[in-house]
Amino acid sequence: MANIGPSIALFALLAAAQGSAARGAQPIEYAVKASYLYKFAPFVQWPQTAFETPTAPLSICIAGSDPFGPALVEAVRGQRVNGHPIVVRHVEAVRSGLACQILFVGGEESGGALQAVAHEPTLTVTDHNKSGAGGMIQFVMVAGRVRFSIDQAAAQGSGIAISSKLLGLAVSVNR
Amino acid sequence: MKGSLRTRRFRDIAAAGLLSLAASAHAQSIEDLRDLSLDELASVNISSVSKSNQALADAPAAIFVITHDDIVRSGATTLPEVLRLAPNLYVAQNSASGYTITARGLSGNPGFVNFTNKLLVLIDGRSVYSPFYSGVFWDMQDTLPDDTERIEVVSGPGATLWGANAFSGVINIITRRSGETQGLLVAGDAGARERSGELRYGGRFGGNLTARLYLRGLNRDATLTGPGTSAHDRWWRIQSGFRLDWTPSERDALTLQGDLMNGRIDGLNAGDTLTRNRNLLARWTRTQTDGGAFEVQAYFDRSGRDILQNGGRFWINSYDLYVQHNNAVGAKDDFVWGGGIRASRLDTVGNATVYMLPPKRTLLLANVFAQYGWGFARGAKLTLGVKLEKDPYVGTSLLPTARLAWKPGDAFLLWSSVSRAVRSPTPFDRDVVEARNGVPLLVGGANFRTEKLTAFEAGTRIQAASNAAFSLSAYYNLYDDLKALEITPVTTIPLYWANAIKGHAYGVEAWGDISLTRWWKLRAGLTLLHEQFRFKPGASGFLGANQVGNDPPRQATLSSAFNLGRHVSIDANLRYVGTLPRPVVPSYYELGGRIGWRVNDQLQLSVSGMNLLHKWHQELPASVATQVPRSILAGLKWRI
Repeated sequence: MANIGPSIALFALLAAAQGSAARGAQPIEYAVKASYLYKFAPFVQWPQTAFETPTAPLSICIAGSDPFGPALVEAVRGQRVNGHPIVVRHVEAVRSGLACQILFVGGEESGGALQAVAHEPTLTVTDHNKSGAGGMIQFVMVAGRVRFSIDQAAAQGSGIAISSKLLGLAVSVNR
Repeated sequence: MKGSLRTRRFRDIAAAGLLSLAASAHAQSIEDLRDLSLDELASVNISSVSKSNQALADAPAAIFVITHDDIVRSGATTLPEVLRLAPNLYVAQNSASGYTITARGLSGNPGFVNFTNKLLVLIDGRSVYSPFYSGVFWDMQDTLPDDTERIEVVSGPGATLWGANAFSGVINIITRRSGETQGLLVAGDAGARERSGELRYGGRFGGNLTARLYLRGLNRDATLTGPGTSAHDRWWRIQSGFRLDWTPSERDALTLQGDLMNGRIDGLNAGDTLTRNRNLLARWTRTQTDGGAFEVQAYFDRSGRDILQNGGRFWINSYDLYVQHNNAVGAKDDFVWGGGIRASRLDTVGNATVYMLPPKRTLLLANVFAQYGWGFARGAKLTLGVKLEKDPYVGTSLLPTARLAWKPGDAFLLWSSVSRAVRSPTPFDRDVVEARNGVPLLVGGANFRTEKLTAFEAGTRIQAASNAAFSLSAYYNLYDDLKALEITPVTTIPLYWANAIKGHAYGVEAWGDISLTRWWKLRAGLTLLHEQFRFKPGASGFLGANQVGNDPPRQATLSSAFNLGRHVSIDANLRYVGTLPRPVVPSYYELGGRIGWRVNDQLQLSVSGMNLLHKWHQELPASVATQVPRSILAGLKWRI
């Protein structure tokens, strides 16, 4: 990222536009997003009710079609956050009571899934959605990088505290 | 005027192209990203890695990118030391604070009062070569290593886009956006010969405004003029600054930044030199929905040097404005145009031996340029550009370029170019007077014109495998009207500067990267240079034609970046510099490196070294340069 962010940003815009028209998202983009999913965890404080026991697993749930493949499962194998082992689960239909600490909903039709967990301590993560219905963290493409914006108000509404380090890295924060 | 956006089609594409080669070597899967921090993850370039944009391939120039990682891991504490990492630059230290830096020869020959003056250097879009003599005071340029995003080094002319001083090369230093440098950083390095420390704080204000403040100080002990004899050139510098980044909408980005620098260099006979710089820059970029972009940048820069004892000093106030528009005509073609104006007010106070006539000057530099890239066949692009530049002394110069790039597949690029560049006269070429006992000994050349270059270049970049990339470029430069000291008929003195030399140079630059494993990467670089100069008809031939450059015909670098587990990194950079011809300086090998230990996410410890192979060594002739020392530093970096 650069001071000449503007120029790079423009460049990325071009690249992104052409890329998506030509062949859709690139694998590396999803590798970065997948890495974010489990690297967010240390910077997020869930309410105590989110875990049944201090050593209960921290679930990263992937809703609908899974763009990450087995690599994410591999990457988190053996990793722990505050004593919670990380596990990756795939959920076909999002409903309440899934006990997901992190939920990734890909694609455009995330609204329903987000609604289903709106009252649970679940950190929702989506791609940037122009229509407005996005997760607490939304991935955005900036200057050819995968960055994210944070809806801190929504997170707080679910009892989730996000560290200033993560907020600092966000492209924008909705307080 | 030397802005950032204007050069996009050429430079950023070039940079991105190279970065893609570098990045793809180490980040292709989740597994590869596992050891990256959150910050590092945020800076993985997707667009270049994906190679989805055919234009990425069109990097028709010899460009090397020093990445943030390279900078931080090198252990280098000053910009010139960092620039030693670029295989297409020649960097030589001449005192505790002074450096000669050039690309493709023409480094000058200080013994003949011919100084390095043919590079364009930008820090965040602000031109830092001095309008006084068109060289760079390297002791006045600094950025926080930790805040530096990357340095793009282009060898060869870039005059059509960058302007008159982009003669032998362009160095573009780019710092991180303030959103990427959040939190508190406290760092320091200390050793027997050098100490530096820095403090930086980055914060966020509201949803889309970020800022940082920093303070950095550096102090270096004196070098030697001979065994055990101090050169009394002890140096310190302290600099502070800020940067604000505001994105009021998805389409607009605003940056406001500035720096304050004060330095002092001990001097034995002439007295200490005080160096000062203040600058303030604002930039606004609007991205259009069709992919085009419009950018406006303005800055003020005040630079001065003041030699305390003998009274010589100068100040330059520069006001610079430029605008640029990029029109993305589509995937195949692109069009960029723009223009700029810079007014520099030079104010000098001479002494009995050196003064300027007139002592004050207002220098106006103005330009307009346009460049069109035409994708005329699959994988092939022809770029034609021209710049009209009006300089303060001579008038208007026409600076055209034609570049051809061919990329038949993802892994192979072939490019060639022909372009013209000039170095415009400066007050130092035209107005200077050096006198002895009231008698002028050397005067500026009243008729001194632009120095001219026509450059033919060709190169290739090959992504040999996912873990290996290679770049090769060759050039043939035709020079005319190069600067030389001429004698006055009959009386000999005063000597004056004339455009008395012409010549040619050819050479090769090659470098390659290979990732042997995920934790061990090697890089090698080689430059070969052959220069031949002769006096033009009618010239007196005084002092010999080599006065334009005392350049090493060969240079080589070998670097290793090694990760020992997730917490320890070991880096080594070996360099070889060939024999300088006139005056002769023997070839030498030197080594720099660093061992870093990430104790935890907050604390990092390191031991780094520069010039490890010799206790003292000489990089430039003893008549104009001192011996530089081995330097070992213990470092600490603490983030909160």
